[in-house]
Amino acid sequence: MNIDFAPELEAFRAEVAAFFATAPTPAIREAGRKTTSVFAPFKECMEWHRILFEKGWVAPHWPKEHGGTGWSVEQRFIFAEEYRKADLPPLLPQSLGMVGPLLIDLGTDEQKARYLPGILSGEDFWAQGYSEPNSGSDLASLSCRAEADGDDYIINGSKIWTTYAHHANRMFMLVRTSNEGKKQQGITFLLLDRTDYPGMTIRPIIGLDGFPEQCEVFFEDVRVPQAGRVGAENEGWAVAKHLLTHERGGGNAASPTLMRYCERAREAAAVTPSPFGGMLAADPVFQRELGELEADIASLGHFEKLAISGHAIARDPAFPSINKTINSELIQRASTIMAQVSGVGALARQLEALRVGSNVEPLGSEFDLISMPLYLNSRATTIYAGSNEVQRDLIARSLAGA
Amino acid sequence: MDFNYTEEQQMLRDSIGKYLEKSYDFDARQKLVRSDAAWSAEAWQQFADFGLLALPFTEEQGGLGGSISDCVAFAELFGKHLVIEPYTSAVVLSGAALAASAHPAAQDLLEKVMGGEAVVAFAFEEGAGTPSPAHVAMTAAADGAGHVLSGEKRLVIAGAEADALVVAARSDEGAPALFLVESGAAGLHPRAYRTIDGRSAADIRFDRVVAQVLDCPAEVLDDILARAVIVQCAEAVGAMGALCAITAEYALTRKQFGVPIATFQAVAHRLADMKIAYTKARASLLYTTALAQGGAATQRDVAILKAQCGKLGRAIGEAAIQTHGGVGTTDELSVSHYHKRLIACDAMFGDHAYHFRTIGRS
Repeated sequence: MNIDFAPELEAFRAEVAAFFATAPTPAIREAGRKTTSVFAPFKECMEWHRILFEKGWVAPHWPKEHGGTGWSVEQRFIFAEEYRKADLPPLLPQSLGMVGPLLIDLGTDEQKARYLPGILSGEDFWAQGYSEPNSGSDLASLSCRAEADGDDYIINGSKIWTTYAHHANRMFMLVRTSNEGKKQQGITFLLLDRTDYPGMTIRPIIGLDGFPEQCEVFFEDVRVPQAGRVGAENEGWAVAKHLLTHERGGGNAASPTLMRYCERAREAAAVTPSPFGGMLAADPVFQRELGELEADIASLGHFEKLAISGHAIARDPAFPSINKTINSELIQRASTIMAQVSGVGALARQLEALRVGSNVEPLGSEFDLISMPLYLNSRATTIYAGSNEVQRDLIARSLAGA
Repeated sequence: MDFNYTEEQQMLRDSIGKYLEKSYDFDARQKLVRSDAAWSAEAWQQFADFGLLALPFTEEQGGLGGSISDCVAFAELFGKHLVIEPYTSAVVLSGAALAASAHPAAQDLLEKVMGGEAVVAFAFEEGAGTPSPAHVAMTAAADGAGHVLSGEKRLVIAGAEADALVVAARSDEGAPALFLVESGAAGLHPRAYRTIDGRSAADIRFDRVVAQVLDCPAEVLDDILARAVIVQCAEAVGAMGALCAITAEYALTRKQFGVPIATFQAVAHRLADMKIAYTKARASLLYTTALAQGGAATQRDVAILKAQCGKLGRAIGEAAIQTHGGVGTTDELSVSHYHKRLIACDAMFGDHAYHFRTIGRS
């Protein structure tokens, strides 16, 4: 066992902190402070993506030959910690965290050459077309249909919960190419070069926090080239499952973000009066609840470090499900405490003040501005990427093999 | 970063694991607990032969120069087998206190501890789940060239059988310090009992007991306790792992309504939660051990580990009993005994409620 505490690492930390202190524009910083979801405000987030790309730091979790940084686990965590300290917007996961790593693992040389540069540079943004109105947790029952026609497929059907599809210029999706055999057979994984093909309609859905984050995407005789297929026809389920390990397993650590939420809650509680007298931060029940949450987030951080360093704990077949379950439930608990600290201060609906670049002054503090939207938005974390009920089924199933 | 056991540690685990599988299975352990013996002299001798009693001490002191991760590597197995021998109190706590002292009596005694010829108990707990030296209230009054101790210590593991006691008390200046007391000293009134998890312990009243001060600096005392907490958490994690495995196997084979109960989603999800809890606890154990090995574990880091093992261990134990149904509530199965070990680990050195609050306050 060993953790590297070499003095060079402190020099690295200083280098990262110095870059984060100077490189982001004021709008990017504002977007970071006003991020109330896993998905940061799109425009500023992509501006920041391009700045990080120029610096060579956009994909620390990618293999070096494909544009990764080649950093040690220690360096990756230092980067993540400084990132959160600076309250910068997290990069969007669909491109860098999902389709990019998938193409590195399973794409053809041609697909890699065609798509990886745009993913890294931030020129492209990909949407994920998986769920359908009648296929949520039971994803393999999906019915959006693709018929082969010459060198093309013709797609009919619809996708839903397609995050930021209204901002995306590319899309990866699952389609049904056969109804033979088991439902998992007959699924094909497709890359779409455009999101404005004739017959394709994107309808944003306003979420419970008041923001259009999710979308519905309709396909009516949409003709796309077969060259965008990853893996063989009817064998897309294996490809999708492979991608899910990236989506649920995550390349980047979530614990620094969650710890930052706790810090913000503690800071806010220090200036929030308790009905029992004194400030909320001195209330024993609050201290106990926050401490319990922080300890759980610390354990997630320990788990993430073990995983990133290649410990056997991450080779457990249930690893992606365990990671997703812990992570998603901690986001909910952290945002619950935040909204609790804000109390009635979180009840004002302030969508305009929350917009980046808005000239509307928020009522109350910036903490009160974000805590309720974050709480509301995080109701989705235990539902998306496979509901936590499905994750627990998978974890329990892994015990049979043990 | 590397959180794997080294090849040497793996070999040590293999040989101790083999010994415990063969000679310390659950039936043998239960027979031992029901006997009049406080613990197994034979097992203690085996631990001495494996080098465990000398492991944490430097080579200059006659030890093997082992590290905290060495101790964690085999302490997981102690938890898995519900070992009742007083390793943490006699070696990790008292042994380390003796090793930190330049007192000639301490050095002599340490040699005997390493050789398995003496057992030294650690008298620290005062009844409130004493979490740190700062909470110690017992006073040591100066008396001629030495000190006299008055007050009460609780849950002193091996307290009635030990050849000597290392006692935490406040000296005249008010700072917590450690004192050495010979067994059978005048004014010592031990009341011995078996703990719910099978160990031999004593509550001891001190009535002007003559003691020698061990010149062990306060920060060394903090460090000794931190290491003991980590080793005790390793035991708890070992017990949690065993409970997860036993319970999964039971749920996959026990049939009701014609099918294994693991096929019911309510049961399956409880098994999943047990695995999640175990994963968190073990990740925190290995990470905190590596931190301590690098000399970088803060009190907060150790508090997080202690609190997590306390809360998660208790949850795993309760889930294991529920999943086993009626038989889980009996004395015959190992399940309830694991649960009682986990409850004991939680209660000692500050329970999870205490540590969560200190974490949240900082």
